[in-house]
Order: sequence, then structure tokens, then C-alpha cells
Amino acid sequence: MPVKKNHKKLIGLAVLTIISALLLFPIFWMLSVSFRPNGEVLLIPPQWLPKTFTIDAYKRVLTNPNHLRSFLNSYLISLAVTLFTLLLGSFAAYALTRYDFSGKKLIINFLVITQTFPLVLLSIPYFEVIVKLGLYDTKLALILVYLSLSFPFSILMLRSYFAEIPHELEQAAMIDGCSSFQAILYVTMPLSVPALIATGLYTFLLSWNEFLFATVVIESIQNRVVTISIYSLLSEFVTDWAAMMAFSVLACLPVIIVFTLLQKQVVQEIMGGAIK
Amino acid sequence: MGLDNYFKLFKDAIFYKAFFNTVKFTAMTVIFHFVMGMGLALLLNQKTNTNFFRGIIIIPWLLPSIVVAMLWILIYNPFGVLNGLLKSLGLLSNFKTIAWLGSPSTSLLSVTVTNIWKGYPFVTIMFLSGLQAIPGELYEAGKIDGASPVKAFFYITLPNLRGVVLTTLVLDGIWSFRLFDLIFSMTGGGPINSSEVMATHIYNTAFRLFKPGYASAEGVIMFLILLPISLYYARQIRLDY
Repeated sequence: MPVKKNHKKLIGLAVLTIISALLLFPIFWMLSVSFRPNGEVLLIPPQWLPKTFTIDAYKRVLTNPNHLRSFLNSYLISLAVTLFTLLLGSFAAYALTRYDFSGKKLIINFLVITQTFPLVLLSIPYFEVIVKLGLYDTKLALILVYLSLSFPFSILMLRSYFAEIPHELEQAAMIDGCSSFQAILYVTMPLSVPALIATGLYTFLLSWNEFLFATVVIESIQNRVVTISIYSLLSEFVTDWAAMMAFSVLACLPVIIVFTLLQKQVVQEIMGGAIK
Repeated sequence: MGLDNYFKLFKDAIFYKAFFNTVKFTAMTVIFHFVMGMGLALLLNQKTNTNFFRGIIIIPWLLPSIVVAMLWILIYNPFGVLNGLLKSLGLLSNFKTIAWLGSPSTSLLSVTVTNIWKGYPFVTIMFLSGLQAIPGELYEAGKIDGASPVKAFFYITLPNLRGVVLTTLVLDGIWSFRLFDLIFSMTGGGPINSSEVMATHIYNTAFRLFKPGYASAEGVIMFLILLPISLYYARQIRLDY
């Protein structure tokens, strides 16, 4: 009996290995192309590993001041959005958890519905509002737009977490002499660190990966973010595929590093938020 | 003015083309996600430690859409790895090349395959968490009553997963229906509108042809199509107020 069970397990793992290898082949291809000279990219039959291993493509990306600036812009914008979302989002989420007021149900349902709203429809009025505010082609405009995109889901995520923290804990702190704000600061917030991390990562990912509004709101090269910089490489006369893939790898790195470090809680927290 | 934009829209052949492309794109995505997600979730839901696979299988979902788009443009290149692979396997004659994104007959299909690849981790992880929530006693009881693994799947697993599957696929459908960045950056809706979906059509009308009113009219129609589905989704997820 145990032998048979082991066989089953082994077959299961073997099938998993083969399927994962097939599914992740495109990622392998991205890495493989990024380390070769352009002459080896479009060959038939394809060459699985670089014949001449080179990091020239990475050098070309990292020595280009425009590309570097787009990395800086993306970090700046994503971090700012994350910070403000966590700060203001946790206030809103707290109010929607602990206080009862008329229209609360409506607000929560509205937050859920916004998750399904066609963003391309929003891009038209957003563009006009941003132009009227005199913010067209500024990083501030992108920060504002991304904040409006990240709030609903972040608030829902934090709210579902706050709801699981017993209110009695805060009440006990208040009996011990804390003000209600202190009770939140010293009791609820420290307990919510996992949810804050997950929400922060979700927000960072959203801002870092966003493309549509970046094309609508930003025009000049010095305000470009990473996604737009990568896209702009496509329109060049002869596409430098090795550099394109190197750029892509660099753009994926922060996301993948953080997620592999914090994988378990974060992924379940974020994905669970879509359903709970 | 008034409803002019709407009347014009209903006579616009590209609008209908975009609508049916969107429906095709969404339907294919959801069907394949269901099959792949279910298969992978069942494989990952073993007693052996599958944490490593869970970790790596999620990667496509984390990548920026623009990176996924560029990567697949390279894969679909007439001299790219997909054609090369087909030729090595003898499935494509050496004198032929397929321009996957460049020909109207394959562009929508190619974009859909890319979207299926990018989105499968979400569906898989949701199904997996649903599977793990099914109490093990149910399977033990089934075993005692003599249920085969196949029967256990149809009579225990599927009925218990129904809620998770429905909500996940509804959300997946909504996201695919409104998808913009992947299709826009891969084909721009072309060639000759063959991969035009509603989202790219709205964008191109508003920001390339500078007709924001006309584009908004189409956007409103898209919103109205999605609204009942969104309301259904909002009802399905268990919110405690």
C-alpha cells in the first residue's frame, strides 16, 4: 500500500514539473534572450541558450539616462501611491468597519462595483479633468489617478481584516486610559501589519504595472514610467529585442523579489480579497 | 446632439466587430481558464508539499501586462521561437511562416492565448483555496460508501466548489471583457480591426480620432453590458456590513 501511494505522489510531481516547465517557458525565453547579442535572437531553428553569453543588453538599458529616469519615476510614483493609500485607506477602512452610519452599505457595494468598471471609459473624463486642473504631463497627475484606482480594493482588503480584530481589545485599551485614536494606533494597527503589507504590495504592483492611464496622462520623455518606456522601444525602427527583454527583466525584478519573499500570506490575502 | 452618438454607433460596423471580438475573447479566456485552473488546482492540492510549484506558477500573473505583451510579440514574430518550434517539430513547412499577430485570421486568437497565459494563476489559486476549504471528512464518508475518485470529484468536489468557481469566473469574465493594455500594446486592435475589442476601439476613438463623445457612448454601452454581471458579482461575494 505505501509503495503504491509513493508511486502516485511521484507521478503527480512529475506531471506538475512538466506542466510548470511548459507554462514558464516564456519566462525562460525572456531571460535567455536578454543575455544574448541581437544576432542570435530571431533564428530558425531557435537557439535555446545564448551561444555567446553577454550582459551588453543590460548595459544598454542601464546606461540610457531616459530609461534610468523612467525607473526612478516608477519607484517614486509607486511608493507615493502606496504610502498615501495605506494612510488614507486605513482611515476609511476603519470607519467602514467600526462605525455605523446611513449609506454605509451603499458605499461598500459601490467600492465592490468599481472593481468591475471598464477603466477605458474612465480614462476619457480623467484626461479632461487632469488637463483642466493644469496637471497634464506631471507625475502628480499619475499619483492622483493611481490613488483613485487603488483606494477601493485596498479599503475592502483592510476592512475585511479590521473586522476580524475584536473591538473589545480597543475598548480594553480605552479603559486603561487610551484615547480612541491611541487605541487604534497602539492596538489595532500593530495587529494589522500583515494586512497593511499585503495592501501595500497590491498598491505598489498596481501602480508599477499600470499602462493605460500612463499613456493618457503623460507625454514628455522625462516623465515617462517604466511601462511606457518599454512600450516606446517597440516603435523604434529596428527593435533591439535583447535590450527589450533585459528591460522587461529589470521591470519584473522588484515585483518578483518582494512576492517570493512574502509569498504565502500576501498572495492569499490579495486574491482572497477579491472573493471575501 | 442628444442621442446622435448612439444612433451613429448602432450603424458602425467596427463597433459590432469590436463587440463580437470582445465576446469571443472573453468566452475563450474563461473556458480555458476554467479547464486549466481546475486541472492545476487538483494537481496542486496533493498531500505532498507543493509550495514550490504554487510559488512559481503564479509568476505570469505578477508580470506587468506590457512585459507580457512584448515577450509574446517576440514569441509570435514570424522568425520567432513559436514558428521555429513548429518547424523543428515538422508541424510547419520550412518554406512557410505564420505572422501570428500580423495576419487578420490569427491575431485575435494569438492575443487570447496570451491573455489565457497571463491570467491562469489567479483562477488556479482561487480554485485551490476553494478545494482546501472542503472538509476532508466528506471524502472519507464517500470512500466508506464506496465512491470512486471520479465519482468523488463529481459528487463532492464540484458541488462544494460551485460558489468559488462561479464568482471567480464571473470576475475573470469581467476583467477579460474590459481588458485594454495587453491587446492595445500587442496589436493596437489591428490588422484591419481583426483584433479590435471594445476597450481598444473606445481608446482609439477617443485619443487617436479625438472623438471623446462618440467613444464615451460606446463606453456607456460597455458599462451597461457589464453592470448586471457586476451586480451579480457584488451579491455573490459574502460581505458582512
